[in-house]
Amino acid sequence: MKALRCDCVDTVAVVAQPVSVGDVVEVGDSTLSVKESIALGHKIALQDIAAGELVYKYGVPIGRASQNIEKGYWVHTHNLQDITEQLCNQYAEEFRRKAGALR
Amino acid sequence: MGYERADGSIGIRNYVLVLSMVNCSNTVAQQVAQNTGANVIPIDCGCVEVADHHSRTCLALTAAALNPNVYAVLLVGLGCEQTDHNKIMADIAATGKPVSYIGIQDCGGPKQALAKGIEIVKTYQEEAAAQERKEYPLSKLVLAVQCGGSDWTTALSGNITIGEMTDLIVEEGGSVIISEVAGFPGSEHILAERAVTPEVGLEIIQMCDELRAEYVRDHGQSIEEVNPTPGNKAGGITTLVEKSMGNIKKIGTRSPIQGLITAGQHVPHPGVWILDLRAPGIDGNATSGFAMAGANLNVFSTGRGSPLGNAVMPVFKITGNPKSYEELSCMLDFNAGIVLRGATVEEAGKALLDEVIMAANGKLTRSEENGNFEFIIPRESRG
Repeated sequence: MKALRCDCVDTVAVVAQPVSVGDVVEVGDSTLSVKESIALGHKIALQDIAAGELVYKYGVPIGRASQNIEKGYWVHTHNLQDITEQLCNQYAEEFRRKAGALR
Repeated sequence: MGYERADGSIGIRNYVLVLSMVNCSNTVAQQVAQNTGANVIPIDCGCVEVADHHSRTCLALTAAALNPNVYAVLLVGLGCEQTDHNKIMADIAATGKPVSYIGIQDCGGPKQALAKGIEIVKTYQEEAAAQERKEYPLSKLVLAVQCGGSDWTTALSGNITIGEMTDLIVEEGGSVIISEVAGFPGSEHILAERAVTPEVGLEIIQMCDELRAEYVRDHGQSIEEVNPTPGNKAGGITTLVEKSMGNIKKIGTRSPIQGLITAGQHVPHPGVWILDLRAPGIDGNATSGFAMAGANLNVFSTGRGSPLGNAVMPVFKITGNPKSYEELSCMLDFNAGIVLRGATVEEAGKALLDEVIMAANGKLTRSEENGNFEFIIPRESRG
């Protein structure tokens, strides 16, 4: 069984088949014990993530943990908050500052 | 290989297109197409339209006709419609493309109009058949990239394979257009960093700011309340930024973004371009937007499988899901699921490019084989 990590800084991976408690999945060169059932294509925590921390996939933050998430657990809407609006404002401000300096 | 048009553009097909000018003329237009095998665009409007709606109708019909894949155009109207067939005909004729108009009232009725329409289309088809396919460099090819009917493989294998193909074709001097801009928020900084100038980067940032504000202003909802969709969430996508990061994989990583175009504009020069088309909803909106931008072929990633085609532009389907490819190969052209089974993205991207070039050279796509020639007028809050 496999889970796919997109970038080396990612704190979640995508399971490439449905998994259940007790399964062991390969993630790159290491392995991970599954702590709850996770549907195909959903995300598994690769490390303990504290409430309030950013969660990384594709090498970028994709949201903020809304509760503590332990390694091996499912990561989805119940424990991951959508902060796209906040990230967009931050990215826009940073790029405008940088582009202003370049011009 | 393709067909050169009078304006210098290159078509990869030699379609004869029948355009209905108004809802009242749809049946005759469709009957002309059925009797000749021509492609047809019926419309749900064409009369008593408010100004911005009317101008978008005319723009969409004209732009579809001006796609380089179209050899000639027959406009079929009633006679008293609001759609300005004289202006549409003049705009098409100005590019040197053959075009005619028939009105049902002028012809003496629908049967007479049908007979006349068939005669005109058959003449165009004979002319088109006499035109020879010639060889042209990849720098003449304009591809669109899109995804829909997505699943967990779309980002992980489908879109990254398209991304590799994008980089390869742009390095050969070709053009690639991406849109589905409602799927950009959260990754706009990556796109802006890839812009060819800081000014283009600022335009991308500005577009995403406007888009987010439009959702709140026009719909009273933030964009992330609508996107990702319930289906996306069931499939494992949790947040909009996560979806958008998967979306932008289609334009690869190596090629600079040249700029933004809006509905009906063609790319000014080769490279990667963003079509700023904000029409929300179904996949056909972006597909028709690409056709209006003069794209020759749409490379469309679909994990679950979609049959969507377009009246003036073949839609080449790739799936990242090996299981979908096994079950639905009748509507899928390429299996990018090989990436999940050990192939490298470089290998898959190169193999995809080879297949896309074969489609450009005339090999029918599944969308064409299955008779999928849809078209919808993409409507935005500004038209």
